[in-house]
Amino acid sequence: MKKQITRKTFILTAVIGGVLLMAMVIFNTVVSTRQTTVATNNAVSEVSSFYLEAMADRRSKTITNLINSNFDHMEKAVAYINSEGIETEEELRATLGNIKSMLSLDRFALVDDDKIVHTQFTTYTGGSRHDFLSAENMDGRSVSTVSIYGSSKQLCLAAPTPDLKIAGKTYKAGFVQIDVREIVDLLAFEDEGRTYFGIYSKNGENLSGTEVGPYISVHNLFDIVKDVISEKKLSEIRDNFANAVGGSLTFSPDEVEETLCYVPIEGTDWMMVVLIRENVIQDRIRSISERSLATSKNQIAFTMIFSIIFFSALLLMLKTLSNKDLAAEKENTKNFRDMANTDSMTGVRNKHAYSDAEAYLDSMIAEKSIEKLGILVCDINGLKHVNDTQGHAAGDQLIRDASDLICEYFNHGAVYRIGGDEFVVILQDRGFDTMHEVLADINRVIEDNVKKKKVVISIGYSELTSDDQLVHDVFERADKMMYERKQQLKQMGAPTRSDS
Amino acid sequence: MWNLGKRNRILSFTLLATVLLSSCSVSSSKIDSDIDLEPKKSIESVETSPSSADLVKSAVDFDHELDGYEPKKDHYDFYFTYKTVHHWWDAVALGMEDAQRQYREKGITITYEYMAPDGASAEDQKKRLSEAEKRGFDVIGVDVADADIISPILDDMVDSGYKVMTFSSSDANEGCKRIAYVGNTHNYQDGADLTEALCEKLEYKGKVAILVGSVGAPCHEERALGAKDTIAKYPDMEIVATEYDMDSVNLAYDLTKKIISDHPDLDGIICCNMSNPVGAARAITEAESDIVIVGMDHDREALHYLKDGIIYCLGVQDCYSIGFDTIQIAVKIADGNKPGELFEEKTNEITTIIYQEDAAMMLELLYGDN
Repeated sequence: MKKQITRKTFILTAVIGGVLLMAMVIFNTVVSTRQTTVATNNAVSEVSSFYLEAMADRRSKTITNLINSNFDHMEKAVAYINSEGIETEEELRATLGNIKSMLSLDRFALVDDDKIVHTQFTTYTGGSRHDFLSAENMDGRSVSTVSIYGSSKQLCLAAPTPDLKIAGKTYKAGFVQIDVREIVDLLAFEDEGRTYFGIYSKNGENLSGTEVGPYISVHNLFDIVKDVISEKKLSEIRDNFANAVGGSLTFSPDEVEETLCYVPIEGTDWMMVVLIRENVIQDRIRSISERSLATSKNQIAFTMIFSIIFFSALLLMLKTLSNKDLAAEKENTKNFRDMANTDSMTGVRNKHAYSDAEAYLDSMIAEKSIEKLGILVCDINGLKHVNDTQGHAAGDQLIRDASDLICEYFNHGAVYRIGGDEFVVILQDRGFDTMHEVLADINRVIEDNVKKKKVVISIGYSELTSDDQLVHDVFERADKMMYERKQQLKQMGAPTRSDS
Repeated sequence: MWNLGKRNRILSFTLLATVLLSSCSVSSSKIDSDIDLEPKKSIESVETSPSSADLVKSAVDFDHELDGYEPKKDHYDFYFTYKTVHHWWDAVALGMEDAQRQYREKGITITYEYMAPDGASAEDQKKRLSEAEKRGFDVIGVDVADADIISPILDDMVDSGYKVMTFSSSDANEGCKRIAYVGNTHNYQDGADLTEALCEKLEYKGKVAILVGSVGAPCHEERALGAKDTIAKYPDMEIVATEYDMDSVNLAYDLTKKIISDHPDLDGIICCNMSNPVGAARAITEAESDIVIVGMDHDREALHYLKDGIIYCLGVQDCYSIGFDTIQIAVKIADGNKPGELFEEKTNEITTIIYQEDAAMMLELLYGDN
């Protein structure tokens, strides 16, 4: 036998399925978040090193490009000066002014063999002011750091000018000085402040004046980190700085680990140092994780809420469908029952229904829970005659007319057709209270029908008395009275069975 | 029937919306990787007491603006000659360049030559002035190498119609006809003040030596005189050596070594220029001696010796202001103005004595050293 799926089974399955589904979503989300966080944390150090190295390298190359660009411009400037055929100091100054605007060499100057510096506006003895002039002969390009009184450090780029003669005088070099603050401005935009950076000399001096994290700040690198790293490591870093070798260093001056990367700046004796505090990365990761977690939580909550709505809606739909089926079933049952208790010709209840009603009323009489009960027994006069003379169709119509007439007047009672031409009306409550008036009214119509040759019904009636034990007792009195009435109507001219 | 159908449609829509919104929830879970971190850049101040910070900041004034004087021309050409190629006059040059830049911003071009020999020499200065006379400069400025030799020459130049001023460290002799002087007017007092500090440190007893600088250089000689007069006030103090280093660090170093050798019981050295404190400190450091050094000016190496306690104190002159004011007054002189309302006949610039506690701040201020 095929097992039926009950509503309870369905709901249980839906609830367990929903809970399992939610548990899986939560579990997967939590596991995924944890795995991501762990993997990211493991990658922080590695990423920070790579990132720092990339940032240091990028900044270093920016400076190198700046240097190369300035040297290229200086070469062009010297070629231009050579081509101008300058004869006087005034002409030289004017030419240097032209070069400024043409090549963007703001601080371009020439130095003659007497170490006299020639700029657009000034001529001065520069032996003490420019270190590169201390050498008697310049072998090639020179890049040096200048500490100017009252000013920030400057990068001095000098190139020999062996072929340059102006008004018969030999010039030994051309040079530009670039303020380190301008270089810092050039570098500052690159990583939106995620890292600290500084330009350092070989002896660990911060040349750029930029703060390299809260611990090192602007101090000499070696002087500061010696307190937080081993002597061996310090020695290694000093050697690297001295020999222009890049490297990295991790230390923890407080609870926060800091990672520092240094790369030599090609063409200079500078070192580019970039530092990141790991809490910057960790804060970023934490921030991302928290946002991710919050998103996951929201997602779970969202999914749960809508799952609840989903299953509620599902159950509601199920309930609605079930109710609909139940109502249909009830309707069918009622129809079947009505079909069994209804006279198909007249639409009133049949004898079977009367038997049920009689049994019910008998029980009430036995319980003495009923006081008002009237029974009317109705019999159609002349039905046989109509059937015989006019056919069964006319007879059937007579029955329906009789039923309609009874139903019309006893609309507060229960009408039953218990035989071919016999009806019973059970009157209770309001129907009982108005029984005599209604009976008088219908009898007047019936008597009038006698004259008009329409449907004639003999009606006998009786009321429940205290001596009655069954409905049938009341019925018998009414039936007897009905026959008496039939005789009365016959005398008035109503058709009878004998008319046939 | 209608109600039931409507309800079913609503429920169906709700189910569909649930599925769609759930999928939207997943797709909206992307991670926002924006970050707001500002770039950090600062020049940290060296830790020092407020009084020290004020002292150091007031010693050198880098914040200058031209006064309201309206020059009569849009181009001036000057000639300046100073004692010797040296960092001290490089500092003066930076003040001059600042004034030059500010005039340029007002549409007035200042060109000038700023020349000196590698070693202080009155003869070299005579030659330079002689050549400058021929070139039609608006003003000739002189940092007098030797007052007795140069002062008469300046008088002759003024008599010949040249506009001559003196500047920076050394003025001409009293009575010289030069139009004005911008610079240190209290060299004697500077020498006296440094020596007073030394005497106090030595508790007014002991043997000292003096490194003067260049022979005949007024500023050096006046400081030496101030030192001698101060020592003379204290009976337990004695000057055992006075030497001329000619503004050379190397010579100052050699002289100091000799003095230490000749006077092993030496207690202090008074240095009257910018070069000799450096030479003296090198020699003292090498000898691992505790001889007390007092000296002049702002040499970077000297400031580091001050920071390390090798030098006891330094008299720092405001070179930047000297340079800036020199150009401003040269413009006024070129326009034919005389000392009076527009400028003084002697524009005094300050000297500030600084000690070990001030050294780091001064190094940061002057050289950006940290």
